[in-house]
Parts: sequence; structure tokens; C-alpha cells
Amino acid sequence: MFADQSIIAMLVLPAFGAALCLALSQSRHVLTTIVGVSAVEMVLAVNVWTAVLGGKGFVTAAGRWFYIDAFSAFHIIVLVLVFVLSSAFAGVYFTNASSDQAFTLTIARRFGALWLGSLTAMTLVLVSNNLGIMWVGMEATTLLTAFLISLYPNRLSLEAMWKYLIICSIGIAFAFMGTLLAAASIQAGSSGDAALFWTNLASAGTHVDPTLMKFAFIFVLVGYGTKAGLAPIHSWLPDAHSQAPTPVSAMFSGFLLNTALYCIMRFVPPARHALGEHFASGLLIFFGTLSILVAAGFIVFQRDAKRLLAYHSVEHLGIIALGFGLGPLGAFAALFHTFNHSVCKSLAFFAVGRLGQDYGSHEMHAISGALRADRLWGTALLGSFLALIGVAPFSIFMSEYQLLRAAVSAGAWLPMALFLAAGGVVFVAALRHLIGMAFGAPATSVRIAGDGRVAFLIVWLAMGLLLLLGLWMPLFFSRAIESAAAIVAGQP
Amino acid sequence: MVPIIMHGDGLTTRVTLLSLGNILLKGIIFPWLLLRLRAHAPYHREVEPFIGFTTSTLFGIPALALSVWLGLRMTPALKQAPSVMLDLSIFLIFVGLFLIVSRRKALMQVIGYLVVENGIFVFGVITVIGTPLLVELGVLLDAFVAIFVMGIALYHINREFGSMDVDQLSALRG
Repeated sequence: MFADQSIIAMLVLPAFGAALCLALSQSRHVLTTIVGVSAVEMVLAVNVWTAVLGGKGFVTAAGRWFYIDAFSAFHIIVLVLVFVLSSAFAGVYFTNASSDQAFTLTIARRFGALWLGSLTAMTLVLVSNNLGIMWVGMEATTLLTAFLISLYPNRLSLEAMWKYLIICSIGIAFAFMGTLLAAASIQAGSSGDAALFWTNLASAGTHVDPTLMKFAFIFVLVGYGTKAGLAPIHSWLPDAHSQAPTPVSAMFSGFLLNTALYCIMRFVPPARHALGEHFASGLLIFFGTLSILVAAGFIVFQRDAKRLLAYHSVEHLGIIALGFGLGPLGAFAALFHTFNHSVCKSLAFFAVGRLGQDYGSHEMHAISGALRADRLWGTALLGSFLALIGVAPFSIFMSEYQLLRAAVSAGAWLPMALFLAAGGVVFVAALRHLIGMAFGAPATSVRIAGDGRVAFLIVWLAMGLLLLLGLWMPLFFSRAIESAAAIVAGQP
Repeated sequence: MVPIIMHGDGLTTRVTLLSLGNILLKGIIFPWLLLRLRAHAPYHREVEPFIGFTTSTLFGIPALALSVWLGLRMTPALKQAPSVMLDLSIFLIFVGLFLIVSRRKALMQVIGYLVVENGIFVFGVITVIGTPLLVELGVLLDAFVAIFVMGIALYHINREFGSMDVDQLSALRG
């Protein structure tokens, strides 16, 4: 019901909320506002999602400038879920902030406005039908989130922010070049506003020039791939993730990277249409596998817990890209993995961030005996790390298992072998890091401030989702993923 | 000026608006912003780049060759685009990237970004005829905000580090 109005509302509401945050007079109220806005956004997103799945398979608004199909609707659900969890966690995190990182009114206003501003920009990326507007939204996320990294300006956070700003701006500029080439590749057939609509670009009737489409896809993959943290252009990622305040790291890892990957995937159907089955998927498999390998190498030698999680993001984004390269079965696994990874990685960042406040450091050797020191966040740390490396009852195990099946049925033996080998290395290395942090005697310097009901809810909601989807997948959920996978990978 | 030259059908409002916007933004506002930034900085010109000036000039030769080669590869598919401008736009992108990696001052990285942006803009204008106005305005706005954000970032970096040398930004590794 009112699905097209919901789309408009999803864009207007967070933008309005961002402006509201600037006018609030207490930092407490900013935290309430962002949770409220995210929650309403959740209701709107579910409304659009049901309209897409129950109706014709898509919803449009504002002419055809906004267009949501099962693929974008699924991503919107994940985006909003990550934002609800992270916004709620921001309340827990900032009220426990140490004195040198006090959550003053100035900082609170800046945080609230940028936080909801980036929600607006990411929503714009996901609902836009026009590749140019999608690009504008993507660049806006870079510019808005840059100052979230250096919310507390100091030498390290400024360095991370500057690298992020320059590397991602250049990357996004390349993606723009790709977008232009894609537009040029279909010039013969159409004109005007419709030239940059991906619905038009992907439709079978459009004539697409193969040479230009090839250039376009490479530029887009490298450009948005920078933002998605695909190796070897991931170098900004561990710095930004480790220096940003934890709710921001969770949002970066939980969804910003997926937004960039979403943009790449929008170019896959036209690329397949113009260049045949193997060009785009071959590149995705290559960059995916490379990311998994590079990340596995760095995970072994990490000392900082947040950097460790950042490299896990490179690994998991690589897994998702690999899955998208492996045909319809792989796309199903990749989308399922997107959901699992976003929930799990947010939870892992929450745990590391809160424990980091308890212990006064994110260095892994400083954190020990977390299970005994802080029951709630220790459990969250243990659960999320075990899920992250693919231990059985959790849903990441299921999606990685489905990915293996997809690799077998696609006959991609080499990527599969490399994925398994790297997965083994990550498993052992991360388990070693985890045992040191979770078990043993707590350090003496630890100061525990027990968290209230909100923290309890966040942890068990996320853990519950991961466990539930690992054991049993509801029918509507698998249908939703199937129809989303069909859009980027064709019918099975 | 490029949009006016490219579109043979005379001065439509659209083309005039875009050209004026560009001249205003890139000819007046950006230089003004950058000069203001430089006034805050404790130095006035790049004295010791990572790669010397003579070597930098020599870098231009392979970059030009590469852009001509890439331009030739694209020409068959882009018949309406003048080939000199096509090569030039690709060359501009290379030069911008080179500026970013070879100079020590963070301000030069911003200028390098602007050069890349200009190259892509020229490329877009000569290859794509019918980009919607809304998209072009969005792109201009983004470039404006990007430079603005980089300016604020540089201001903070300068205050914290006492200089704008990028080789000081090397604490985070591995």
C-alpha cells in the first residue's frame, strides 16, 4: 500500500532528520532521533519490500527516476537493518564514552546530521533508476562519511580520513568515467533522460556497443571496487575502519561496502547482454578470489581488533563478489551472505568497540578474559567471531556452504580451492586471536559499566537472526533472495 | 566552453547554463577556495616533490603515447567525438593521477583531483550527447562539495600536524 509514496518518504525522512539533529539542544535527543528515524525507515522499507514481492516485481516513483525491484529491495532491507542496529548501538556506545572522547553537543549534532545524511545518500543510491543519480549518491556517501571517521579529530583519524577521501574520490571519478562510457555505448538506440536508466540499459531491445561496454565495465569495477574494498584497491579500508568511532565502523563494514558492490552489480546485466556470459563474471571471480587471498594474508598478522575486522570485511566482500560471478546459484549464496555478513559484522564491531571502551584499547593483546569480565559483550564477541569464520550452526556457514555448491556446479575448481585454503588460514588465525581475547583471566585495569536493556536486545536480536537463519530459512525469505538473484544472474 | 563548441545547434539555455556554471565554479570559486587555503599554509610553493620536475615532464611522453593509443581503441565506437579531444581528455586524467602520487603537499593532491575531474568532464561532454540536466547539475554540485570537504579536511590536518605534507600521514600501516 502506498509503495511509491513510501519511496519518496524514505528519502525525505532521513534528510529531514539530519536537519533536525542540527537544531536539537541535547546530545541525548540526537541519539533518540537517529533511532526513531531508522525505525520508521524500517517500516517504510518493509512496506516497499512486500509491495515488490507481492506485486509486479517492481515499484516506481517520480516518473521512472526511482525504480525498486527485488534486488534493490533486498539491499534496502539490509541497509535499514544495519542502521537500526547501529543507531541503537550508538546510544550505548556514546553514553559510555571516555572523557577524552566526550560526546558533547557539538559532536552529537555533527554526528546525527552526517549519520542520517549518509542514510539518505545510500537510500538514494539504492532507489535510483538513473546511473548518473546513483553515482551522485555514491559520491555523496564518500563526502558525508569522511567527517564521521574524524568525528574526534586527532592525527590518526585525520590521516585515515584524508586517505579515504582522496582514494575513494578518485575511485568514484573512475566509476563516473565508466558510467559515461555505458551511456555512450547505447547512444545509437535512445536519447534523452532514458539514456542512463539501467532498466533501459539492461533491457533486451537496446543495442549496446560491445567495445564501449567492455571499457565501461572495467572502469566501473575498478571505480566502485575501490569503495567496496576489493583487493588490491582496498588500502583505505583498514585505516578508516579502525580509526572511525565504532558505530561508524559498523555502518561502513555492514553496508557502505555493499552499496558500492550493488552499483557494480547494476552494470552486470547490460555487460552480460553485450559481451556474453563470461566477461563480467570472470572479472568478478578474479577480484573476489584475490580479495579473499589478500585479506587472509593480512588477518594472520593483525594486532588491532578493529583492523582485524576490517580485513575480514575485505575477505567477505571478496566472497560475495566471487558468489556473484558463479551464476544463479552463486548469486543466491552471495545475497544470503550479504545479509549474514552485514548483521554479523555489525555485531562483531559492536562487541569490539564496547570491550575496547572497557579495556581502554583495541589492541588484541590488551583484551583478555572478555567472557568473564563482561558477560554480555564477551558473549557477543565470541558468538560473532565464531559466526564470522564460518562455524556450523550460524548462517554464514550455510551461505559459504551454498557458495561451495555453486562453485562445484559452475566447475570453478581453482577459485574454490583458493577460497577453501584462504578460509582455512582465516579460521585458524582468527580463532587464535579470539581465544586470547575471550578466555583467560581478565586484565586488572578493566572497568566494566554494565549496559542496560537496549544493549541486551541488540546482541540477542543479531545473534538470534544469525542462529535462526543458520538452522531454518523461512520460505518468504528464500523466495525474496531467489527473485533478487534472478535479476543479476538470469533465471536458474 | 567545450559544451558550446560541441553542440552545433547553437546556444540553448541548457548548454549556456552548464557552461556558465562551469566557468563560475572552476574559474572563480575553486581558485578562490584554494588560494584561501594556501594563505593558511606555512609554505608557498612545492619545493621538494617526490619526483623531480624534469622527470615529471618526461613522464608526459609515455602518458601521451598511452592516451593516444587508448583514444584510437575507442574511436571506432565513438564516431562523433573529435579524436584530439578524446586523447586530450584521457591525457588529462593521467596527468591528474600523476600529480596525486608524485607531490608532497596535500594541496597538490586536491589540484590533481581537479585535473582528473576536468579530464572526465571533457570526456563526458564529447562522448555523451544527451546526459540529463539533472545528472550534470548533480555532478557539478558533487565536485563543488568535494573540493569544499577537502578544504575543510586540509584545514584540520594543517592545525593538527602544523603542515600539509602528505608524507607525515604514514602512521597507519599493515
